[in-house]
Amino acid sequence: MAFNFNWSPLIADTDRVREMLTSSLNKSPKPPIIVDDIIVNELNLGSTPPELEILEVGDLAEDKFRGIFKMSYTGDAYLTLKTRVQANPLNTYLSTKPSFASPQPLAASSGLTIPLQITLSDIRLSGFVILVFSKQKGITLVFRNDPLESLKVSSTFDSIPFVRDYLQKTIESQLRVLFMEDLPAIIHRLSLRMFSPEHQSAETHDPSKANTDERAPIDPFASSAEQPTDSFGQPLEGGTLFSHDAPSETYASFSQKNLLRLAALTESQRTLSLFTPGMRDTVYRAWASSADRNDMSNGISTPLHRPTLSRIQSTLGSHSAFSSSAPSQASETPSVHSRPSLASFPSAPTVYSLGSTASRSRAGRKRKNRVVNLRKEKVEGDVSDMASVSSGYPESANPSATGSAEASSHEDPAAVAREGEINTPPRSPKKKVGFQQSSDTTRLGADSRRPVTPRNSTVAPPSDDDDQTPRASMYLPIPDEQKTPQKPEARPSRQRLSRNQTLPDRVKPPELPRSASDLSLSSLPFSVDGSSGGILEQAWMMKMANEIARKVAEEKVRRPAWRSDDEEGYGRRGGAEAPPAYVS
Amino acid sequence: MLEFMDYVLTAFHAQSRWNRDNSYASLTATAANLLDFPVPNGIRLHVSALSSANFASSYTLGSRGVVDGSLSYLYTSLGLSIPSRSSALHLGNLVQGYRHLAALQQPENLRLNEILRNGKKEERRDALLYGRLYLPTSSLEALYLRRISATRLLRLACVSDGTLPNGGSILAVLQNDFGKYSTEYLYSTDSSLIGARGLYNFGYDPRSPDKPSGRTPAHPWDHQGGRLSAGAEAYFSPMNKSGGISTGLRFTTLPIHTGFPYTMTLTINPLMGNLSSSYAVKAGPNLAFCSRFDFNVYSYESDVMIGMELWQRQQPSTEVSWANALLRSDWKRAEADPNGVLKARVDNHGKVGLLWECRVKELLVSLGAGFDLKKRERMLGNVGVEPASDPPDAIIFGAYSLQGSRKQIVAECGYNLASK
Repeated sequence: MAFNFNWSPLIADTDRVREMLTSSLNKSPKPPIIVDDIIVNELNLGSTPPELEILEVGDLAEDKFRGIFKMSYTGDAYLTLKTRVQANPLNTYLSTKPSFASPQPLAASSGLTIPLQITLSDIRLSGFVILVFSKQKGITLVFRNDPLESLKVSSTFDSIPFVRDYLQKTIESQLRVLFMEDLPAIIHRLSLRMFSPEHQSAETHDPSKANTDERAPIDPFASSAEQPTDSFGQPLEGGTLFSHDAPSETYASFSQKNLLRLAALTESQRTLSLFTPGMRDTVYRAWASSADRNDMSNGISTPLHRPTLSRIQSTLGSHSAFSSSAPSQASETPSVHSRPSLASFPSAPTVYSLGSTASRSRAGRKRKNRVVNLRKEKVEGDVSDMASVSSGYPESANPSATGSAEASSHEDPAAVAREGEINTPPRSPKKKVGFQQSSDTTRLGADSRRPVTPRNSTVAPPSDDDDQTPRASMYLPIPDEQKTPQKPEARPSRQRLSRNQTLPDRVKPPELPRSASDLSLSSLPFSVDGSSGGILEQAWMMKMANEIARKVAEEKVRRPAWRSDDEEGYGRRGGAEAPPAYVS
Repeated sequence: MLEFMDYVLTAFHAQSRWNRDNSYASLTATAANLLDFPVPNGIRLHVSALSSANFASSYTLGSRGVVDGSLSYLYTSLGLSIPSRSSALHLGNLVQGYRHLAALQQPENLRLNEILRNGKKEERRDALLYGRLYLPTSSLEALYLRRISATRLLRLACVSDGTLPNGGSILAVLQNDFGKYSTEYLYSTDSSLIGARGLYNFGYDPRSPDKPSGRTPAHPWDHQGGRLSAGAEAYFSPMNKSGGISTGLRFTTLPIHTGFPYTMTLTINPLMGNLSSSYAVKAGPNLAFCSRFDFNVYSYESDVMIGMELWQRQQPSTEVSWANALLRSDWKRAEADPNGVLKARVDNHGKVGLLWECRVKELLVSLGAGFDLKKRERMLGNVGVEPASDPPDAIIFGAYSLQGSRKQIVAECGYNLASK
């Protein structure tokens, strides 16, 4: 995963940055040796942007973002300061002492001010930075540790080694203080000024070029109203929205395509039109929180809009970061490899806000069953989908269990797959991208239905659903064998439920916001008629289903305690069904 | 105007026959008095008293911050017989203006300080203790003077303040005055500063007294009417690894000089390349002018400052006006007591300073103002008033305040207790 920077706008605005830096340097009381104001003479941000690597992403939304990055900068930025210093040490010493006990020299303390110019260059930064972006509040950038590695200070006193070394030492220490304390404030103010007129942050969360290319195909049906798309869902016209040359599209922190879809969705709600564009690759935050609320109707629109894009981002980010942590999970099933990242990610239980808090709070209360009917997963094999979805749930990563995580990961792909390629995943090497894509492609291409809730998908194929508008009402869960194995898995993976929560598949409230699932599951294979299926996909899906069933059985054995929680869920469902895959 | 405690200190030195002018530190004292006078900032009230010949106290109340003030007490082992009533003080003693150099003393003359103690002749060892407490800032100043011998004076100055590093500092100065030359050694605990000063007077050697007048000059520097002095100082701080040196030259006319008395000084700081020269002349019994020029040979920075001082004498009262009319013009008249002094200074940056010190009934009042002609919008800088009163048994205070562009006159009230 990489970031592409459009470094030019930052350079273009150095006047403002210079003024802010000057004022902030002169705000704090200066040591007496500096006689004049410190003026920033020149600030050049260089030609190479810093390299960012996402470690953790949480709280993704259209208007806010929070993440932890590892940043390293080895560019050629330089900064020139100009000031005047006092050359008489006796003068600076005596100026700060009370005159009563001062020797009061006659002329030995007369001052001599020397103009000084300092250039800081060859700045090497490397550290962890926490970036919080919110459209209303701007950007906040905080360094977790001291990022300054090395620095070259050159000044007008370079010919005097003693002064040169002293300046180097002093400025390095001052810069460390500056990075840790002053820079966040400066960037915040600058961002407030810069971003209020714009909607997107300059720091891009652009998917890399590879990501772009492998972006899951979009529901052609969903985008049909907007623009012509090819079978992959890519806009046919010049790719302005979702250009393959991602590096040039630096301001698209969110997929333009999805933005347009969201806009269309909003519009559709204002009209009497029965059409509701489907949103692929989305996970809805409201799914997680709607369990709390009794009004499912709320969930319709909010989850649609909010989590959609953020989900994609989170999945994007998480995959790259977590793919490495796969090995722990790998034991369970090969398909889980991509997923495990979340499960084995203990340190970010709270990073992901999506559903996390909701699930946590709810954990103490009732267990809500958000079941994704993974039984339909037999044809799914959308591991990556699951991964992507679950990536958004730190709780999945919770140490509730590695196994549970794995189980969830099993379920996740299925569930996600149902939701329709929420993720991005195709990129992750461990993901079965090929399957994903192919299955998605086939699904999507063949079936332009709206996504259906996982639960309902098997029961009520989207074609049955004349009303394309996402509704809160959920299809009744299908009490087929597919659900059974999922229930125990759902339970243990309480943390995994973070993602699950977004799934409409909730047992308790019958009127789950199906919309999200509907939208996302447009091309889910469980819509029986939707299976595009090549034989390859089907075989893979069968394999996935078997694995899932196996995992469910294991979970059942391992987590008998969960069962009690599920009882209510079961009860709701009539008891005859298998426990929900995800219990909130 | 000298504060009461400084006035007592001056009296102590005068009474113990210590020539404060014979030190390198006071080489440019005349120019400093005429040009670097402090303009009071805000209102400050001083009430002081010389409770006895050995004890003095002073209290100040000021308006810096919300309110600030200080208490000070002084004890001397040498009974001071100085007028302490503010109405009796000679303004010339309080206001430092053009300084006429006193004649150099012979070290032997100082034996006048000998006393008989236990049947043996011993030199007086006068000591002075002084302490001052600043109340809002909780800082303490202390001074200890001890006349070790006829030619040695030990001075310990301490400051104790929580905001200072190490809580404060102590400065110890050992001054030796041998008439023809003088040396000082000082040590400060703050950054371990070590310093040495020396001054040498050319010409008249008090150790071998010759009559100054009527003697042909032995060499060009032997100017009977004036004295040429040269001195140097050096400081070094092992902790800071820093230091400084300077050297200076002064020529001043002695009272026997005919014509206008003048003083010329030149100080050089060779490390920093600073040159400072001043010229002060007493144009009349009531008027003195001074000018100073600073120049830096490295940075080419230069400064010029011009100052003047005008004394206001009391007019002879009507009762004796008939006697004044009888005086011949060429008779030497004693100078009347000064009533007030006006000081002014201007420098090349457009900064103007004014100070008016006078005696108002029982009060000694200083009114000052600082202007900045270059800043049109904020011309009036700091303005202040410092009334001082030191009647031993009366409390009178009053205040006039001119702050910035606002002019307000604070009510004045006072009462006068019966005096002894």
